[in-house]
Amino acid sequence: MATAMGAAGQSEWEVAVPEKPLKDKTYFENLKAKVIDTNLCSRCLTCAAICPGGITVVGNKVDFPDYETKCLDCGACVRVCPRFVYEPKSGLGDYIEFIAGRSKRFAGQDGAMVTELLVSALEMGMIDRGLFAGRDEKWATEMFHVREPEQLAITTLGGTKYTFADVLPALKEAVGFTKRGVGIVGTPCIVSGVRKLQQEYPIFRERVKLVVGLFCTENFHYGDISKFLQEKGVDFSKLIKTDITKGKFIATMSDGEKVKFKIKEVEEIVASGCGVCTDFTAVESDASVGSVGSEKGFSTVVVREEPAKKVIDFIKEKEHADFGEAKPEELDYLINLKKGREKNINSDAASS
Amino acid sequence: MKMKSMKKVVGPEYNLGDKIKTNVYAVGVAMQESVYPHTATVFYPRERKKMPDNFRGFILFDPDKCISCFNCSFVCPANAIRMKEAPNKRYYPTVDYGRCIFCHFCIDSCSGGALKATKIHDVAYKDMDAMFTPTEEMIELPEIIREDKKYVEYEIKEDDLHLKRTKGEDYLFVEVPPPKEIPMVSTCIDPGSCIGCRVCADVCEHGAISASVEDGGTLRMKIDTDECTGCGLCVKECSMQILMLNKLERE
Ligand SMILES: Cc1cc2nc3c(=O)[nH]c(=O)nc-3n(C[C@H](O)[C@H](O)[C@H](O)COP(=O)(O)OP(=O)(O)OC[C@H]3O[C@@H](n4cnc5c(N)ncnc54)[C@H](O)[C@@H]3O)c2cc1C
Ligand code: SF4
Ligand code: SF4
Ligand code: SF4
Ligand code: SF4
Ligand code: SF4
Ligand code: SF4
Repeated sequence: MATAMGAAGQSEWEVAVPEKPLKDKTYFENLKAKVIDTNLCSRCLTCAAICPGGITVVGNKVDFPDYETKCLDCGACVRVCPRFVYEPKSGLGDYIEFIAGRSKRFAGQDGAMVTELLVSALEMGMIDRGLFAGRDEKWATEMFHVREPEQLAITTLGGTKYTFADVLPALKEAVGFTKRGVGIVGTPCIVSGVRKLQQEYPIFRERVKLVVGLFCTENFHYGDISKFLQEKGVDFSKLIKTDITKGKFIATMSDGEKVKFKIKEVEEIVASGCGVCTDFTAVESDASVGSVGSEKGFSTVVVREEPAKKVIDFIKEKEHADFGEAKPEELDYLINLKKGREKNINSDAASS
Repeated sequence: MKMKSMKKVVGPEYNLGDKIKTNVYAVGVAMQESVYPHTATVFYPRERKKMPDNFRGFILFDPDKCISCFNCSFVCPANAIRMKEAPNKRYYPTVDYGRCIFCHFCIDSCSGGALKATKIHDVAYKDMDAMFTPTEEMIELPEIIREDKKYVEYEIKEDDLHLKRTKGEDYLFVEVPPPKEIPMVSTCIDPGSCIGCRVCADVCEHGAISASVEDGGTLRMKIDTDECTGCGLCVKECSMQILMLNKLERE
């Protein structure tokens, strides 16, 4: 008899196979029938991150071309998809601290507290890479693994992009490389995806150390929003900031010119998965950050879990940011607006 | 504090016999040198200094032994080694002698014994770019014009260095016994993170990994340590990067 030596590895193990509602179909067809085709899909790409076969995005939809031949029918996608068995979350959740912050070191969308949190976590040694959603010159998102604070010299890493970013596929890559841990930032749907990955697989539980969520009401598919902005006369080569405040979409150009229009105008192109999304504050995150709730130039920071608390304490100790008061009640309107979307969830498609 | 008593170094005391002996020896050496002068200078390139077996010179490479583990390129402190894709899709080392500091860490780290030391230390290049040595040029020795007729060794005899000349060419290779092969098998280091995709079982050319679905919705994964050759393919292809080669212990 021969055995592998050392406690490091095992020669035999078991994997729980998830249940398959449509028994004679592949798991991908199950996912497609239950989530993608019912417009429940948030495009969080948790499925694509775990899928060894090739789940990807085709146009505005998550898809798997050639799934007939390429899907390995492993079931990982349905195990991790936060909307396969959808338990909508809403509200503000429990928190340790609710504050307004403005980084002294970085510029960002609001107070650049997201950047500050991830960079401070790097400096503390809590993580060895932070995943940022940067963008190219056409404002399509691109993922960056930030390992040194100096990389923040790329000024497009901060700031809000009103289009989806492939955060979770980048996270899958990052957990393979990391020695200390990974920190990420994403919209609430992405945060739910990370938590699902962590719930299912130890590799994510052990290696994802900081999850920062963004307040989020809606997002757009790149093709739709870029076409829309171009029709509005926005020149991407000059566009430096996009923002949604007080019901208006504001595109700011490098020469100071602003293109503004009512958010109602883009309602038609809001991604379908956002229509059933009830989570405004990313309740499952370690800390969430947004603009409502604090003064202009500040980010509202909701500190929920211990890792985020440690980073905030570090920022305070090093005096990397100014802090002020934030008002939780200012979030109520958007929290309730999103909670109201529960009615859009088709009861037999969602959790039953 | 009291000083310790010092020792005085006393010069040797010669008696008459010793004095005659040393003088005769000196005259003898003088006469020998006037007839057949002895020189400590090595006449390069006709004479080469014989290098010891641990001399660190030009590096040779045997692609058949390379397992493309990248160890050499990782360990190289001078960043002289770059792995380049060969026509057979494998990655092999190249050495930039413009950077190499001849530490031979690469040779020491080579898992397959594919890198070999030689005693060649006098390769000439036209320019810096030519010092980049692609894999093809590492397999054979570079062209050497050998004019050496003798090799020179220094021997230590009674605290003295003695120069010894030997006719013939010095052998420039270093023969090192191949590293001992350690049998390895694939194991799973994080079973909880296995997604059950069976990619490992599909790629294994030796049928060593089985994945069978049992009733009640569990997938049983098994690596047959008797069949596994430790080739590492499953380790490379595993979707979750949770397989690792481990030493095999036979009972
Ligand atoms: C789609 C979207 C909708 C939002 N809606 C609201 C809202 O309704 N109300 C509100 O108060 N706040 C909203 N926010 C959050 C707000 O715009 C700011 O991102 C937040 O206040 C953080 O600002 P900051 O200056 O601290 O961050 P910064 O330091 O500028 O960092 C922002 C980080 O967000 C990441 N990021 C940017 N775009 C995306 C994206 N599309 N997907 C994933 N990550 C991204 C980047 O990696 C960047 O590092 C939204 C954000 C997004 C991405
Ligand atoms: S909700 Fe996320 S995980 Fe589920 S199908 Fe859509 S992209 Fe994939
Ligand atoms: S390969 Fe696995 S994860 Fe990918 S679609 Fe098929 S069942 Fe889902
Ligand atoms: S509203 Fe925001 S969090 Fe919800 S699905 Fe859309 S992008 Fe994701
Ligand atoms: S001898 Fe040292 S410096 Fe030269 S290639 Fe090998 S490892 Fe690099
Ligand atoms: S190491 Fe090679 S032989 Fe062993 S299980 Fe993996 S693929 Fe098969
Ligand atoms: S390839 Fe890796 S994740 Fe897939 S079944 Fe094999 S061990 Fe599990």
